[in-house]
Amino acid sequence: MDLIYDFLTQVQASSSYLARWDVVLALLVGSVGGVLIGAIPGVGPAVAIAILLPATFSMDPIVGLTVLLGIYGSSMYGGSIPAILINTPGTAVNALTTYDGFPMTTRGEARRALSLAYSSSFFGGIFSVVCLILFAPILAKIAPMFGSREIFLAALLGIILVVTAHRKHTLIAAAMACFGIWLNTIGLHPASYSKRYTFDQSWLSGGVNLIVVVLGLFALSQAFTLLHGDDEKVRLTKLKGSFFQGFRELARHPRIAGISATFGVVMGMIPGVGEFTAQFMSYTYAQKSSKRPEDFGHGSSEGLIAAETANNAVPGAAMVPLLALGIPGEALTAMMLSVFYVHNVIPGPQLFQNDMDFVVALYLALLILNVLVVAFLLVATNQLIKVVKIPNRFLGVCILILSFVGVYSLRNSLTDCIVAAAFGIFGFIMKRMQLPVVPIVLGMVLGGIMEVKLRSAMARVKTPLDFIDRPIAAILFGMIVLVLLLHFRRVWLDYKERKTDEWQTSHASTSFPAILSRRRNYILTERGKKLRAKRKTFSRRLTDND
Amino acid sequence: MSDEIIEHPDRPQRGQVLFAALFLICATLLLAAIGDQTKWLKGKDFFAQPRFWPGIGVGGMVLFTALHFWHLPRKQRRLPRWMREADWFQWAESLFWAFLAAGLALWLGPIAAAPMVFLVAVIRVTWLYQHWTDRREAKVWASVFEWAGWFLAYVLLVPIIGYLPVTMVFAPILTWRVGYRSRLMLWTSVVFAVVVVLIFKSFLQVKIPGAALYEYLPGALRSFFILNF
Repeated sequence: MDLIYDFLTQVQASSSYLARWDVVLALLVGSVGGVLIGAIPGVGPAVAIAILLPATFSMDPIVGLTVLLGIYGSSMYGGSIPAILINTPGTAVNALTTYDGFPMTTRGEARRALSLAYSSSFFGGIFSVVCLILFAPILAKIAPMFGSREIFLAALLGIILVVTAHRKHTLIAAAMACFGIWLNTIGLHPASYSKRYTFDQSWLSGGVNLIVVVLGLFALSQAFTLLHGDDEKVRLTKLKGSFFQGFRELARHPRIAGISATFGVVMGMIPGVGEFTAQFMSYTYAQKSSKRPEDFGHGSSEGLIAAETANNAVPGAAMVPLLALGIPGEALTAMMLSVFYVHNVIPGPQLFQNDMDFVVALYLALLILNVLVVAFLLVATNQLIKVVKIPNRFLGVCILILSFVGVYSLRNSLTDCIVAAAFGIFGFIMKRMQLPVVPIVLGMVLGGIMEVKLRSAMARVKTPLDFIDRPIAAILFGMIVLVLLLHFRRVWLDYKERKTDEWQTSHASTSFPAILSRRRNYILTERGKKLRAKRKTFSRRLTDND
Repeated sequence: MSDEIIEHPDRPQRGQVLFAALFLICATLLLAAIGDQTKWLKGKDFFAQPRFWPGIGVGGMVLFTALHFWHLPRKQRRLPRWMREADWFQWAESLFWAFLAAGLALWLGPIAAAPMVFLVAVIRVTWLYQHWTDRREAKVWASVFEWAGWFLAYVLLVPIIGYLPVTMVFAPILTWRVGYRSRLMLWTSVVFAVVVVLIFKSFLQVKIPGAALYEYLPGALRSFFILNF
């Protein structure tokens, strides 16, 4: 009872933050804008948030964050529309939705698939917010236990998880994370006021701005990719009838919905993990526990529920490390961190202790947002699907024009625009080769946090073991060791699997022609030379001297 | 959101060697410059040194990119026939690199020359393993400079001519350039430009300075334009 009473008191106190016309407007803009952005393949929330970021600096923190959180939370709803109707995920996290969503469309069940995606996403979103509001008091008690060394270790864990999550690209992801760490060190060293990698250039003395890099890597690179590419012909299915049936169907699978949402909440809270791991874990669980596992990938409603519930449960949970520790776990929350810094609101244990109302207000905003988005989608899906038809290159023109607002409004600096353009070209190259860019952004943000926290933590450390003598520090250190061990085990298993495959495919009959060929080459070259030289002595041509 | 965590088993191979080599060369040059570009302060803790974190950054860049480069699936380039058949050429080529490395070591001293020798090795490996698809990919990378040029031209013109007029002209011209010729698309781009200016400059009041050209406008119109467009 106490918990519910505390919860209601907290909600009442936080409602003062939300009962303002500008917050209501931000909620509407965030929800509708996010759905629209998600529904257009090729834009995505990262581009939209990067562009809007400088515009939100002039707003109140709650207003600016509501807009950005709205875009983040609702883009996945919109992203499921093209994933289901045209087999193209609107945002990267809707990739798994195409597995079961599109086969449902091909057999004439597009409305059912969309309705199921909306209801699952809604359940995931609401579940995560309710969980977090209920756990907020516990988080508020744990957060103050995080000192400098714990925050350093948590940031280090985040960066390691981001790198190891890029399976098969781990090395280049690690190189990019280090690139981000290095970028963050450019400029004046705050503790000693000595210049680092400025090459005596005045424009480098202030360092490289995170937002300029983000705009280049996400927005401009996407504009260049779209401008360089071709348009795709899109054929849409006509949708008739209401979208309410999905809620009834979802109610028939409470176990899958509940467990997928839990995966989303837990994975979202761990920095550097995010939607993909949550989705794959819940999808695998749903497939293994299903009575019809053979339907997965061929239009299974359970698969669709698992994928959509898990990904929508993440945004709320991803705010936990950001708000409680000041550690963003992914690129989007890293961008949001800059909104806090601009307003001198430093997220971390103090925010949870002193301004809990603000935190709960953010969660309530996310809750209302989910309701708004579902209401909008239930009414406007038929009109909304038309945005899928916007040609790609025209979209590129639009993003280029919008990117200007983002970069130039920051400091009215031409240098910033040149730097952003350079990162845009770099991002374009990375995208063409399907190499990861997210570790650069996280390297920049987490590198800065690690530098400050390590410096202050080491002041009280005499021996290396002192660093992990507190329980949370020891747990975090244990987790780092465990993650690294698991990673190296996986690398070793992959290596063994690859070697086994090579061994199995190279049997004797296939190598026989190769042996013959080598033998022939040897006879024709080395041995042949020797033989010909030998015979030459016996069959020497006659000359005039003979 | 980590956009790239999805595995790409069919990740394109074109350009991979070239990209890894270029990134590794840049990282090595940065590492070579660490002594010049950062300071080591006496009496300060190791972890509080100004050189510590840049060292972690560039050191990690060199180490992990070199490992990535090493692990890339690569196929030795098929050299022209005369190169393959001429033994003297292969000898001369190997000797050239060896002399270059030795010359650098003598000139700069062994420690300062180490990154340069490493660079020479990277350049040689890249020369051996780069493929014609890498060169074609490099042309694609170069073609993006055109779009970056459009963007920078737009940035240069806004403070002179004004945000609204430049955007209204820039949008249809770029739309034309990317291949749309229909009136519908061109007018749509103009409408989009106006809407963007109205939302960001007039409504949200983002910081975009008034243009130099607006100064010539009469009285109230001048301040209205500077404030809103």
